[in-house]
Amino acid sequence: MSPRDSTGPDWARSTAPGRGGLEHVSLGQSRFMTPGVAPDPRGILLGRYGLLIFPTLEGVVSWLRLYSAESPLDELLAALEISQVRTPLGSREMAVRIPAISSYVVDRAARCALLVGGATYTGTAKHFVKYRDDRSPYGYDAADLTPLPPDASIMVHGEDFTQTYARERDLPLDRLLLRLSRRRIPGGADLRPDERRELFLVVAHGLGEGVIRYLWRNRVVGRVGLVTPERKSAFDESRARVHLLFRVQDLPARILDLFRSTPGIDIFRPLTENVAVEVGYAHPIDLASCQSLFEPSRFFLFWGQRDQVDTIAAPLELSGIEHLTRLDIQLDQATSGDTLQIAALDAVGVPLELAPSLNPSRRVVGSLIPLEQARWLKRLIYFLPQTSLRGHRMALTDRGILIVASPDVDVIPLGTPLAEVAPGLLVPLGWDLVPRVAPDVLARSLGHNAGLYTVFPPSGAAFQIGDSALAPLERRALARIEIGGAEVLDARIEPPAEPAVVNEPVGRFALWGFRAPGRGD
Amino acid sequence: MGWSDLGELLERFVLPLVSGGELVVGRPIAIDALGDLEAQIPHVTPQLVAVDEARTEVIAELVVRPPALVFEADELCLAACVHNLLFLVHPRADSWAVSTSARMRVLDTAQEMAARPLSQSRSRVLARHGLLHNLFRLTRMDTKISWWTGSATYLGQRPPGRLRTWRSVRRVREEQSVASYEDLLGTVEVAPVVTALLRRAPLTQLLAMTRDGPPLYWEDAVFLLRDAELARAVAYRSLRGSEPRQVVAAPARFAAAFEQMLERAPAESDVRAVAAFLVHLNALLVVGEAGDREIGPRSPLLSAVLSPERAGQRQRGLATFFSLPAALAQIDPRLGVPPGVATDALLADRWLRHRAQVVEGVGEAVIETLAGRLRRHLTAVLPEHVSM
Repeated sequence: MSPRDSTGPDWARSTAPGRGGLEHVSLGQSRFMTPGVAPDPRGILLGRYGLLIFPTLEGVVSWLRLYSAESPLDELLAALEISQVRTPLGSREMAVRIPAISSYVVDRAARCALLVGGATYTGTAKHFVKYRDDRSPYGYDAADLTPLPPDASIMVHGEDFTQTYARERDLPLDRLLLRLSRRRIPGGADLRPDERRELFLVVAHGLGEGVIRYLWRNRVVGRVGLVTPERKSAFDESRARVHLLFRVQDLPARILDLFRSTPGIDIFRPLTENVAVEVGYAHPIDLASCQSLFEPSRFFLFWGQRDQVDTIAAPLELSGIEHLTRLDIQLDQATSGDTLQIAALDAVGVPLELAPSLNPSRRVVGSLIPLEQARWLKRLIYFLPQTSLRGHRMALTDRGILIVASPDVDVIPLGTPLAEVAPGLLVPLGWDLVPRVAPDVLARSLGHNAGLYTVFPPSGAAFQIGDSALAPLERRALARIEIGGAEVLDARIEPPAEPAVVNEPVGRFALWGFRAPGRGD
Repeated sequence: MGWSDLGELLERFVLPLVSGGELVVGRPIAIDALGDLEAQIPHVTPQLVAVDEARTEVIAELVVRPPALVFEADELCLAACVHNLLFLVHPRADSWAVSTSARMRVLDTAQEMAARPLSQSRSRVLARHGLLHNLFRLTRMDTKISWWTGSATYLGQRPPGRLRTWRSVRRVREEQSVASYEDLLGTVEVAPVVTALLRRAPLTQLLAMTRDGPPLYWEDAVFLLRDAELARAVAYRSLRGSEPRQVVAAPARFAAAFEQMLERAPAESDVRAVAAFLVHLNALLVVGEAGDREIGPRSPLLSAVLSPERAGQRQRGLATFFSLPAALAQIDPRLGVPPGVATDALLADRWLRHRAQVVEGVGEAVIETLAGRLRRHLTAVLPEHVSM
């Protein structure tokens, strides 16, 4: 049945949307017509949510693609909703609701949405007003609010219009992710050495022994397991294939080329702990930025050419390939050899190192500023708002200036940004500590405990500093100031006096001898 | 006392005229004496600097960068003209010893002093305004003392102390009154000279249009509207006040002078400039209401000044002032709506409400008549040539 034939609700048959009106929000404004909105610390009008409206689903995907490339989607997933909505005139559009964590997040979302033809609004429940733009840097407030028609779920207030929408259906993001086809990347199969550090091979069962032997001969470290993709239904006969799944490390380029050209061997590159995408292909959306969507108990293989997603029970239990090489057993020959004595075994200790992280980037909690950049920090302090000055703590050390920010402010953009791998354990952003031992084990071995900050700088040894050594930046910002007494002056300006005519005595014959103009003596 | 010393004249008359205070009026200044006074200009630098600084302070309220002001013969002539006009209301100028012909000689002298060349130079106009800006604020304290056997009136003079002694015994009563511009310079006798004086300082006249004064000739003042900074100063000064009738007093006088201008043969560019300025004043009134949420759909200002009950008490030019945007929209829509109004939805909405309320208040016949008068001076523009 077409929407025209349906007996729609009253609002759907109502007249065209009314002409809206928005007022520019000014700095310091505290009262607003729109319900559920308030200014954030920067003075920008913000509701609990941002609402992005796109004409088609392609717009939504393009936005997700753009946004995930710039910032992790994980921070939005808690309240992200994608819905298909319908206007009173029957046209369909797509609405994406995101939590308005901060105006910086909504700024980024709005910029990406504008780039792909979407519009951004903010609000809390039903009324959403246009988000700020260049013409009104602090946002807009609705000038006139009208109640929603009975079946409308949201109303957006634009500059020249108001529009109501009814929600038709929701589109979960995880389902959308699995539906999207991978796209081929030109030259994407030529992997750099760091990209070849760990790879997955899906090998047909019949080729298993040959591949194991070949890898073993070429001294490639690897582990292998027999996996069966989970069946979606009892009739899913085509998925009842059994594969050998290899996890290999530092695969040489020549072997990679050989495997790529061998039928029955498919190569996958891990993006996160439990997601891998076929080499040469990429998912439109950065999967690493939405890791929380993928259950930890599943391992996801995104095929490129076959356009399918296989899931495998995780964690993967794999065995070393060195134990699976063919053995020649000759029981007839007697063995002979020396008896050796084993001395006391030393502990196997490996040094702790920094390595590029595969995990999505964590929140930056601090910064380590080299001492030579202290002058920049001094200049920057003049421009910081009071909330930032209050939210930062700093300590001056011989290794640099350590800045630690409270959770509600953004860290000063100077020096090396630091992320927290465990409470008080700071590493440079984008790096991880290897070996990946549990945080409590790591803390114990480092002698790290509460009240301490252990910092791993990008170069040089780690150092520790007590929490008490960090002082609020607003206290450290001021140099010693000599204050002298000042005399209070009266700055009031007297109003200008009225000009008053005073007639001076001029004598009885004031005009005696006064000559007319142009007349001589 | 005669004014033979320029320093004394500057200190006791010119400086109070500029910055307020008691300005002393003595014997009139003859034309011949101007040459002697002008020759002293290089020798009275401290007094000149004080006057120039006071003038700079005055025009600093109007422009961001006041021009350098130098007191010279032009200012000396105009100041001497004002002095001589004020002498004509000196009590001694009205005594039996001063004949009518003698008064006429003083008046002719003042007229000749005011006959300085007209100027459209920005710095010259600002310099003259700095000197004459207080012309409409001149006052004089008059005192009348009555006692048991008689009375005496002292115009701008302090009564002698002997008349105030034994107040109760002699039943002394003292009454004070203030003579204002109308009493000092608004008389029929001196009005032509004041008009000539203000034609040399059109900025002073435009800025003082909230008060009664000589009639405005837009042809002399229209060049000021082409200077955005000065036009803005005039516009903001003309809309001062809180009472509706007070707010529209100056715009109504501007519009009345515009009506008079249309009866003459002005240049089309001048008509366009004045019309655009008046439409801009209309827009400022709209802007004043656009952001106020407490104001309903109808403008309280228009309701107060255009109410049918007070149609008989309307100021002259008021209907023309409010009808002008609608009349211009029929001839040249570019003049009918100030630029920028259409881009702001709230402002545009308020502008349309104002226009509708004006049509309701003054009637379409008034607008049509005004449009007809404007058509004689303005070249009509075809709608397709209008880009808005």
